[in-house]
Amino acid sequence: MYMLQATDIYKKFGHLEVLLGVSLQVKPGEVIAIIGPSGSGKSTFLRCLNRLETIDSGTIEIAGEIMAQNGSDGRAVYSDEKTITRLRRRMGMVFQDFNLFPHKTVLENLMLAPVQVKQVPPHEAEKTAQNLLAKVGLSQKANNFPFELSGGQQQRVAIARALALDPDIMCFDEPTSALDPELTGEVLRVMRDLALEHMTMIVVTHEIGFAREVANRVIFMDEGLIVEQGTAEDVLLNPQQERTKSFLSTVLMAR
Amino acid sequence: MDYVISILPSMFLGWLLTMKIFAVTLFSLPLGVILGIARVSKFKPLAWIMEIYVWVFRGTPLLLQLLFWYFGLMAVGFRIERETAVYLAFILNYAAYLAEIFRSGIQSIDKGQYEAADVLGLSRRQTMTQIILPQVFKRVLPPIGNEVINLVKDTALVYIIAISELSRVARIRAVTDDTLIPFVIAAIFYLIMTAVVQRFFKWVEARMDYYH
Repeated sequence: MYMLQATDIYKKFGHLEVLLGVSLQVKPGEVIAIIGPSGSGKSTFLRCLNRLETIDSGTIEIAGEIMAQNGSDGRAVYSDEKTITRLRRRMGMVFQDFNLFPHKTVLENLMLAPVQVKQVPPHEAEKTAQNLLAKVGLSQKANNFPFELSGGQQQRVAIARALALDPDIMCFDEPTSALDPELTGEVLRVMRDLALEHMTMIVVTHEIGFAREVANRVIFMDEGLIVEQGTAEDVLLNPQQERTKSFLSTVLMAR
Repeated sequence: MDYVISILPSMFLGWLLTMKIFAVTLFSLPLGVILGIARVSKFKPLAWIMEIYVWVFRGTPLLLQLLFWYFGLMAVGFRIERETAVYLAFILNYAAYLAEIFRSGIQSIDKGQYEAADVLGLSRRQTMTQIILPQVFKRVLPPIGNEVINLVKDTALVYIIAISELSRVARIRAVTDDTLIPFVIAAIFYLIMTAVVQRFFKWVEARMDYYH
């Protein structure tokens, strides 16, 4: 069974066609890196998977349960809110800009959703939160506010916050793009640890090195389509498509 | 000096009335929060009604609104107490201004905050009460402080329906006693009130400064 299955996803913003029939199957424990130039639709695709954006047509299934599928008119129909809420809870999301809650401490950021949404008793939520902070190396910062942390630390908190809901899939939307180069390492290290624990991960990223090292599969998107996919080695070291080659040469040249 | 002391009791009574109008009008604060949220409602008719409300109550002089609630209603057969008219006029007028401040505050919060709350599974209500509004309150404190200072001074407008608050008492004394001293004393009263309001907001802002 697939952990996540998206079939033939179409999405328009007004007249701008962003996704032109994107399909993706993710097996449990798989780590998928989605690369591509800006405007290729890769972030939009990721955001469609947990309904931060609604799709125009296509099918989305999470662990065999349908979140959205095409109706008789060929337009996507979403399942009822209860189902969607349940399915979304299985997905953690990490944003480019962290989006921590600035008025809450690190610990409160981690405890909020478990306590409010899952009705976990506070002392239990706190224990989980402390464990997760230890895991991302930030136990010392539990009582600090986000503004007191570096970007890399904030992103690690954001990862821990998503993990606090015990998701089956972790989605990362360019998690290191807003960071100073010297801070990306600590975030990628946390993500690598997650991959080693066989967390299912979908990572939209510009980090070719990370993709090569950690991803089971690399997907190259351009202009709303998957142009090429395969093992990291195939796509990154031995690309077949012209567009992949030219993208990779630009990205690698920029280093 | 004897004259000053002789008029202080009546000025003080006027001041009490001013304070009462001021205090009652503070109910426009919670009302403003509710109207501000309604103003950004996804339910369009509600948002439109709020837009019209703000347009009418912010777009006409408070003085006219006072006259409307007292003499206007009287003219169509509804007699209400003078003070009731004052509270109606002030609360509804100030709520319109405050609703706009809260609306802009709500809209100034980064959409990433909504998205983060959304993917964590928080309901719309939880998102509003726990994530958005606490940040809005911090952001809108300076403009709210401005409005509250304005309110201190706007209370003087109620002289128009013959309510003897501080400024009207001063005027009556000035005319009858043929001196400007009551005005000076009234000014000092107002300055003391606004100073207290200023200090209070400075204190709240300092207390909210634990995060950026």
